[in-house]
Amino acid sequence: MTSTVEKEIISIIADVSGFDEEEITPDKNFYKDLEIDSIKAIEITVAIEKQFKISVRDEDVPNITTVKQAVDLVNRLIAEKAE
Amino acid sequence: MYDVVIIGAGIGGLVCGCYLAKAGMKVLIVEQHHKPGGYCTSFKRRGVTFDAAAHSFGGYRYGILGRVFSDLKIEKRMNFTRFDPSDIVITPDCRISFWADLDKTIRELQKAFPDESKSIKEFFAFVLGPDPEAFSRRRSWTFKDLLNHFISDEKLKAIVSFPLFGNGGLPPSQMSALLGAQIFKQFILDGGYYPEGGMQALPDALSEIFKEHSGKMLFSRPVRKIRIKERKVSGVVLDNGDFIPARYVVSNCDARQTFLKLLGKRVVTHEFLDTINNMVLSLSMFILYLGIDKSANLSPPGSNVWLLFHYDLDKAYLSAKSGDFRNIAGYMVRTSPDKKAVLAFINTSFRSKNYWTLNKIKWTEALLRKLESEVFPGLSNHILHKEAATPYTLYRYTLNDKGAAYGWAGMPSQLAISGFRKPSFIQGLYLTGHWTTQGLGIPGVCYAGSDTSQMILRKEKHS
Repeated sequence: MTSTVEKEIISIIADVSGFDEEEITPDKNFYKDLEIDSIKAIEITVAIEKQFKISVRDEDVPNITTVKQAVDLVNRLIAEKAE
Repeated sequence: MYDVVIIGAGIGGLVCGCYLAKAGMKVLIVEQHHKPGGYCTSFKRRGVTFDAAAHSFGGYRYGILGRVFSDLKIEKRMNFTRFDPSDIVITPDCRISFWADLDKTIRELQKAFPDESKSIKEFFAFVLGPDPEAFSRRRSWTFKDLLNHFISDEKLKAIVSFPLFGNGGLPPSQMSALLGAQIFKQFILDGGYYPEGGMQALPDALSEIFKEHSGKMLFSRPVRKIRIKERKVSGVVLDNGDFIPARYVVSNCDARQTFLKLLGKRVVTHEFLDTINNMVLSLSMFILYLGIDKSANLSPPGSNVWLLFHYDLDKAYLSAKSGDFRNIAGYMVRTSPDKKAVLAFINTSFRSKNYWTLNKIKWTEALLRKLESEVFPGLSNHILHKEAATPYTLYRYTLNDKGAAYGWAGMPSQLAISGFRKPSFIQGLYLTGHWTTQGLGIPGVCYAGSDTSQMILRKEKHS
């Protein structure tokens, strides 16, 4: 089952990349499959931070290259925030 | 009924229109001015061609222009030359040229700053590197942070930054690292391209391509309203009251005008109105146009010459903002390739229409005196024609708010804001050009224009 976090992240990526939500599967690579460039990478990061009210640390950015990784990171950051 | 109506025939709108029309969509571009180009236009006086604002372009070898030119087959209709060096920075201590041959530029900088030999190479490699994550990680960095990461010498930092100040309107301490790196890469390390016949040749070529793909254009027609029906665009209303229905509307004009006037406050969410009201505009400019005689020989034709008198760009920004140009850090001067025209500009901010009407001549004479006393002795003996554009002139021809030369100011906090590319509260509305917070200058608006067209075409594919 698709989680809410995953749905919301896919919606952000769809909005920034222009790809349809159905095409954005968990294993899709931002840079290779979804044509994400520097400016779009920033837009996605900023939009994720705003949507989930979290702050993505600079060192975490290299670890979000697929939809699944982004979902995992956001879940972790939300959990950390709740502690 | 059109598929798409594009408001504004600046380069962003034209590029977007060309891609959409080429893909078979029925597109109309509406422009308030009587010719295409926005800030990329030329005008004639006594047979001499003057470029109005944009005076060369970059990003052909390393940037977006190469791809757009090849996709739209622009080379078939427009000849252009790359002037070498593209840019020359002259300071009280040295003269640095930016050559088409990158290694030659690096060697020249290394010779002037031997202690920074290694860091210059590393900085260039970073800026030219195609790593999209690198900037996402540094999204809150200013260009100054980026420079500090590589370079120690303050003079070298100012030399690298001054053309960026002129091309982006912010000092390195305020400009986003990504934007600064993009300007440096596309405008400076890959700049100096100039169309045969003047800058107008670029929008003219794009207009021809657009029309060849059955695109329609309307000139001297301001748009009065973007009409919305059930949170979806239904078309635009022109100044004469004509309604033009369309499934998509792309606004390539000023963002405040788009949201506050064309859409109206009732349509825009409170949250986004707050965002708009807190956004900072970029600076405008005061531009001097001189027609000169053959013997003038002021600066190498086709090269952008940046004269920097001191290295404190933060101070320079403050004086540009306050319009006190007795303290300006410097200015850019460019002799046209045909050696008949000179364009010089300084950044400044808008005051009232009245102020500029009253002070235009005063500013013209003052800048002229400065040029003559500081750089070109005897300049006034060579002048055949003189004219100037104030921030109000820039506003009048393009309707960019307060004559803003680069859209929103390119600070890290004003970078990549989704709502300025595609507002979530209205379906079918896109923004393009330098108000999208994605980039500026000709490479920036070409990127935005091409990106907007991709967004619409992807959307079409799925509906």
